Amino acid sequence: MENKKNTAFRRGFDEYRMLDPAEKRRRRREFFINNALYIFLFIVIVAIAIYRPRFLSVGSIVNIISLSAANLPIALGIAGAIILTGTDLSAGRAVGACACVAASLLQATGYANKMFSSLPTVPVFAVIIIVCAIGGIIGAANGFCTAKFNLHPFIVTLATQLIVYGALLMYLTLGTNNGQSISGLDLSYTEFINGSILRIGGSAVPNFVWYSLAITVLMWVVWNKTTFGKNMFAVGSNPDAAHVSGVNVSRTIILTFTLAGILYGVTGFIEGARIGSNSASTGLNYELDAIAACVIGGVSFVGGIGKIRGVIMGVVLLRIIFVGLTFLSVNQNMQYIIKGLIILIACAIDMRKYLVRK
Amino acid sequence: MKKLCALILALVITFSFAACGEGGGSGQSVAVFYYTYSDPYISTVRASLSKSLEDLGVEYQEYDSNSSQTTQAEQVQTAITKGATCLVVNIVETGSDDAAEKLVQQAKSADIPIIFFNREVSDKIVSSYDKCAFVGTDAAEAGHMQGELIAKFLLENYGSVDINGDGKISYVLFKGQDGNAEAEYRTKYAVEDANRLLSDAGKPPLSFYNPNNRDRYLVDKNGNWSAAAANEYMTTILTEYTEKGKNMVECVICNNDGMAEGAITALNTAGYNDGKGRTIPVFGVDATEAAQELIRAGKMTGTIKQDAQGMAETISHLARNIAGGKGLLDGTESMNVDENVAKIRVPYGIFTGE
Repeated sequence: MENKKNTAFRRGFDEYRMLDPAEKRRRRREFFINNALYIFLFIVIVAIAIYRPRFLSVGSIVNIISLSAANLPIALGIAGAIILTGTDLSAGRAVGACACVAASLLQATGYANKMFSSLPTVPVFAVIIIVCAIGGIIGAANGFCTAKFNLHPFIVTLATQLIVYGALLMYLTLGTNNGQSISGLDLSYTEFINGSILRIGGSAVPNFVWYSLAITVLMWVVWNKTTFGKNMFAVGSNPDAAHVSGVNVSRTIILTFTLAGILYGVTGFIEGARIGSNSASTGLNYELDAIAACVIGGVSFVGGIGKIRGVIMGVVLLRIIFVGLTFLSVNQNMQYIIKGLIILIACAIDMRKYLVRK
Repeated sequence: MKKLCALILALVITFSFAACGEGGGSGQSVAVFYYTYSDPYISTVRASLSKSLEDLGVEYQEYDSNSSQTTQAEQVQTAITKGATCLVVNIVETGSDDAAEKLVQQAKSADIPIIFFNREVSDKIVSSYDKCAFVGTDAAEAGHMQGELIAKFLLENYGSVDINGDGKISYVLFKGQDGNAEAEYRTKYAVEDANRLLSDAGKPPLSFYNPNNRDRYLVDKNGNWSAAAANEYMTTILTEYTEKGKNMVECVICNNDGMAEGAITALNTAGYNDGKGRTIPVFGVDATEAAQELIRAGKMTGTIKQDAQGMAETISHLARNIAGGKGLLDGTESMNVDENVAKIRVPYGIFTGE
C-alpha cells in the first residue's frame, strides 16, 4: 500500500517535470489554492508558537486534543446528515438534553440538591445506554419525518429542536429541581470522563479522549467498510439512482439520523461531566460549530462527499483557533470574523474542487 | 380516514389548550414575561413568584421570551389583547431604552400597570408612567460586594493564596456577556473594589494572569454566562499557566455561579479544588444551590447571594396592591426604594457557607 502510493507519487512528480513552465505555474497555483487551508493552519501554528512557545508544549497539545475530542462525536453525527444533503439543527439541544439526563441520573447520593433524592447510585454503563437511546430516538424521529414525509431535514430538525428544548425545560423542573443547574455528580461518573489512565509528559489525558477516538475509528469503519456506509454516500449523491440500484433510501436516511442521534447522546454524556454543571442552555448552538467543522473539513452540502479525516481536521482547526487566539489574547470580537472568513474560504475552495472534478 | 384523524387531533389539541387557559376568577390576570426559562437564577425567581401569585389567588400566565426582544414584544401585545390586568416583565434588551419604552407605551394605552424586574430599565422609563415600577437589585452592588469579599479573603489568606510568592495575586475574570449592565458592573467593581481594599492594606493590586490581555477579562462569546465557556477557558489557561511554571492563576473571579462551576470542574481535572489538596479561590455571584453546596464542600470560596425569594415577594406585594386597588408602591416604606423613582432594590448578601 505504502509502496504503491510512493510510486504513484513519483509518477506524478515525473509527469510534473515534463510539463511546460506555464502549465507548471498553473499546477503550482492550483496546489496552493486547494491546500490553502492546510497551509494557513501551518502558518498560524508556527506564528503562534514563535510568539508563545508554550502553545506547542505537551500540555497545550493535550488540551487542544481533548477540546477537539469533546466536539468530535457530534460533528461525526452531523456529517452523516450533511452527506445526505441535509443538516441537523436539533443536535445541540439533543446534546443538552442527554447531558442533563445523564447528570440527573448520576448525581452523588447524599448531595443536598439531588434532583431525584431517593434515586440509588445508577451504574454508569446503564446511563450511557439510556442517553444513547434518548439521542437515538430523537435522531430516529428526525430521520423518519425526513424519509417518510419527504421533508427537508432543515425543517424537521428545526421543529424537533424546539420539541426537545421544551421537553428539557419540563424535565428540569422535575423532582426538587426548579430549573436549577444540575451538578454534584457522582465520582464514578466524573472519574469515568475526566479521570485519566494515561499521562503524557506529565499532562493527564482525560479518559473521554479515548472514547472519542474509539468512536471515530468505529465511524470510519461504518462509513468506509459497511453496506450501510456505502448506501449513505449513494443516497447522498443521488437518491433516485440509489433507489433504482436497489438501495432502501428511507431506511438509509432513518439509520443515518439515528446513528447521529446516538452520537449526540455520547456527546451529551461526555459534556455532562466535562463541564460539571448542566442547565437548559447546555448544548445551545453546538450544532453550528459542528456544521462549521464539517464544511471546513470538506463535507459538502452538495451531498455524497465527505471523509472522516476531513471532519477531524475541521474540528481540530476550530479548536486551534480558539486556543491560539486565547494564547495570543487577540481581541475577542476578532474571533467571530476570523471564524466566519475561514468557513467562507474553506467552502469556496471546496466548491472549486468539486466543479473541477465535474 | 386521514382527514378524520387530523380533525380529531386538532379538536383534542384545541380543547387541551383551552383547558390550560382556565384559571382563577378574581378578575385579575397577571402576565409574567421571563427573558429566558433556561437561566437557573431566573428559574428560582419563577418558582417563587408562581407560588406567591398562587397564594395571592390571582390568575397568572407565564411567557418565555427565549432571549428575544421581538418575541417578548409580541407576547406582551398578545397578553394585553387577551385582557391582562398587570404586566410583570423581565426585559430581554437592556442595552437601550427603546424596547422598554415601547412596552411602557403599550401598557399606557391599555391603562394597566407594568412592573419590570431583575433586568434593569432606566429611571426615565420608570418615571414616564405613573403605573410603572422596577423591582431588582442594584446592579453595581453585586460587583462591590464581590470585590469586598475577594479582598477580605485575600487579606486573611495572602500567604497561602500567593502560590509563587511574588507578593502579587494573579487572577482571571470570566465575564458572562458583553454589553449587559450587570456583567459590566460586576466585571468592573469586583476588581476595582478589591484593589482599593488591598492597597488600603498596603498590598499591590491584583494582576491579570496574562499581561497581554488588555480587556482584563475573558467573555462567554455566546453571551450565555455559561459553565462551558468558563470551563474551556480555564482548561486552556491551565496548560500555559502552572504551579511549576511559577505563573499559576491564583484567584478566579466569575460573573455568576454557573461560570464558577465550570471553572471549578476544570480545576478539578487539573487536580485542584477537590476539597482536600490545594484550592484556588473561586468567587461567583447568585448563590445557586449548586454553588452553596460547593462552598460547603470547600471547593469554592464565596458567592454573592441574589435573593430570588425576596424579589418574588416584592413583585407579588406590588401585584397585591394592584389587585386591591391601592397605589402601586403602597406599603413599601420598609423596603429599599430609590429616591424620586419607583425602583425597589432587593439587597444582595455575601455567602461563604457560614
